[in-house]
Amino acid sequence: MPSFLREFFKRNGTGMGSLMLGLVLFWTIGLIILPQLSMLDFSFRPNLPPPEIGGPKDVYTLENYKYLVYGPEGGSQDYNAVDLKVFFRTLVAAICVTIFNLILCYPIAYYLAQTKGNHIRIFALMLIIPYWINEILRAFALRIIFGETGVLNNMLVGLGVFDTPFDFIRNDIALYAGLGYAYILLMIFPIYNVIESLDRNQIEAARDMGASWAKIHQRVVIPYAKPGISSGCTMVFMLSAGALAAPQILGGPSSLWFTQLIYQQFNDNSDWPQGAAYAVVLLVTCILLVLAVMRLFKVNMGDIGK
Amino acid sequence: MKNLSFMRLSLWVYLAIFFAYLLGPLVIMSATAFNSPSFPRMTPWECLTFEWFSALFRDERILNGIWNSILVGAGTVVLSVAMGLAGALMLTQIWPKLRATYYTVIIAPILIPGVVLGISTLVFWDRINRMLGLGADSWLSNGLFLTIIGQSTFIASYCMLVLVARLQRYDIALTEAALDLGATHAQAFRKVLLPFMRPAIASAAVLAFLASFENYNTTTFTFGEYPTLTIELAQKVRYGITPAISALAFIIVVLTVFAALANEASLRRKELVAAARKKATVEELESGRLKLPGFLSSNAAAVALVVVACATVAVVGTASVYSPAQCIADIQEQKRLETQERIRNCAASSRAKPLLRQRLRSERPAGGRRGQPLRQLTCSIPKQKGSPMGPPFALPGPRQNNILPGTSGRSSLAGSSR
Repeated sequence: MPSFLREFFKRNGTGMGSLMLGLVLFWTIGLIILPQLSMLDFSFRPNLPPPEIGGPKDVYTLENYKYLVYGPEGGSQDYNAVDLKVFFRTLVAAICVTIFNLILCYPIAYYLAQTKGNHIRIFALMLIIPYWINEILRAFALRIIFGETGVLNNMLVGLGVFDTPFDFIRNDIALYAGLGYAYILLMIFPIYNVIESLDRNQIEAARDMGASWAKIHQRVVIPYAKPGISSGCTMVFMLSAGALAAPQILGGPSSLWFTQLIYQQFNDNSDWPQGAAYAVVLLVTCILLVLAVMRLFKVNMGDIGK
Repeated sequence: MKNLSFMRLSLWVYLAIFFAYLLGPLVIMSATAFNSPSFPRMTPWECLTFEWFSALFRDERILNGIWNSILVGAGTVVLSVAMGLAGALMLTQIWPKLRATYYTVIIAPILIPGVVLGISTLVFWDRINRMLGLGADSWLSNGLFLTIIGQSTFIASYCMLVLVARLQRYDIALTEAALDLGATHAQAFRKVLLPFMRPAIASAAVLAFLASFENYNTTTFTFGEYPTLTIELAQKVRYGITPAISALAFIIVVLTVFAALANEASLRRKELVAAARKKATVEELESGRLKLPGFLSSNAAAVALVVVACATVAVVGTASVYSPAQCIADIQEQKRLETQERIRNCAASSRAKPLLRQRLRSERPAGGRRGQPLRQLTCSIPKQKGSPMGPPFALPGPRQNNILPGTSGRSSLAGSSR
């Protein structure tokens, strides 16, 4: 037995130590690492009926990935335009949602963190209550508002802004509003946590030196809040790129989200390896994108999740 | 000075917009639960009704979904709090060189999209199942097991974060003292560490249950024979929505408000009691005649709690005696009259019909909806404006697709992508 393991058991006792080690190994290896590797492996295999799995036809192939880029073999188009378009649209939309959320949430996080008083607790309560309510129901609520005969349309038509009801769902406005709505809290909390620890004197010192309001934020608050901002942005981006409920409920009939394609591959086409390949592409692209942006803004991975 | 007041004003405007965005949808959704039309909407208001609540409680699938959600939630809470605690303890004593890697691994599930987690769980356990040579109905491919496992993968990370925050304030010397005094490791854990961690474990458990209860992305791949409430709701919302869903949402909102207010009130109460103790003289404390503040005094949350409770009792009381039958009959009569009016208008404009028909044909979207009776389309036009009732739920033509997005457009797209 290696020495660090012996020391570990000496410190925790054999029973407690092995229970702890067992749970941690089950979680990290059995639930996190192996399933991801298994999915990766699966994505390189052809779609076979169960009896043929492990048989001579079960060889590694790039077919599933090729399918995303080139479409079905012998297809009319050179590229799989539909799926690729959905993929890039998902990424761009997720980035837009992230930026929208950051702009919306930064002021309130700053306000909550830097103001003292009883009303702050009420605000915090009002922030949290929507997040105890089911994701589906939140999307459903927006559907009621943005629908053809929804409150918003009735109001806008009543005010004379539009002559006929505007189709928010078909134009994806409902979808973007829903995605932004779903992840507000995940943006606010990390930023709030960081700004709360910012010494108020720093802001006052800057103000005494004659810095303008914008300058204070640009030079003092934002650099300090960078870890919070980056972890908030990372979470919102990853979650909205991987969202499934909001696009299913709020997306228009012709607008697909990439996760919906994955869902179709699994449930409608029963092509698991193809779905796994799409999932791998989504995961890897998102991670690379996040890492690239973090490098661009000089943030460390270790700051995330704190 | 003027600048400052402008800033203040814009701050309040911003806050108002923000909270309207955050709470407005919930308020409107709750209101639709009490309106009588069978499509959930707030305007126009027709009749106050409690019918949708009875419809909700008659719905077998929803009730079954709630039961499954509770089963999954219980399993997830146990598994993820245990794994989270073990993971947090391990983080404090792991070999320093491994620490960063280990932290990345256990924090990663939070960032991995739920869809990916669901798929990887499904694929992995399916493979294990096949490797062990078990059939398709073994417990390894059971929906309950897969859902609990899949959800725990990332919920354990949330628990770990909550527990680590508390564990950082733990003095390891306490455990050592217990061991020195002859306690076994299990005793030291149960009698020293666990009581210290109890508040954090409680909040981790609540968090885990809530996260499990509302999870959709992971569960949708793993649920198998055990559709949870979220899955059932998603099915319902995608293929036709009724105010019964609003009723369920309203119940959840009310429960949430209750829980939040109760939590806030008890926190405030503790603060007040502590403050009173601090102010009291030694004599008062010793004689036990210390006067503690009343439950409702200077505790806004407690007052609000009582008010909400009274309102709930009042609403439930009204619901048991109130009947909207008369109102609904009136509305139906009114609608009938309007339909007649509309038909008359249609007939009157039938002279212009050939022209209108031509225009409509050219306006119809490319790809055309087949089998749409043209007459209906023509007649649905004039009632758009001026009609206080608004269009009914089942509109012909493209409108219906907006209310129920998904099926037709999506399947045609899926077909083209294959």
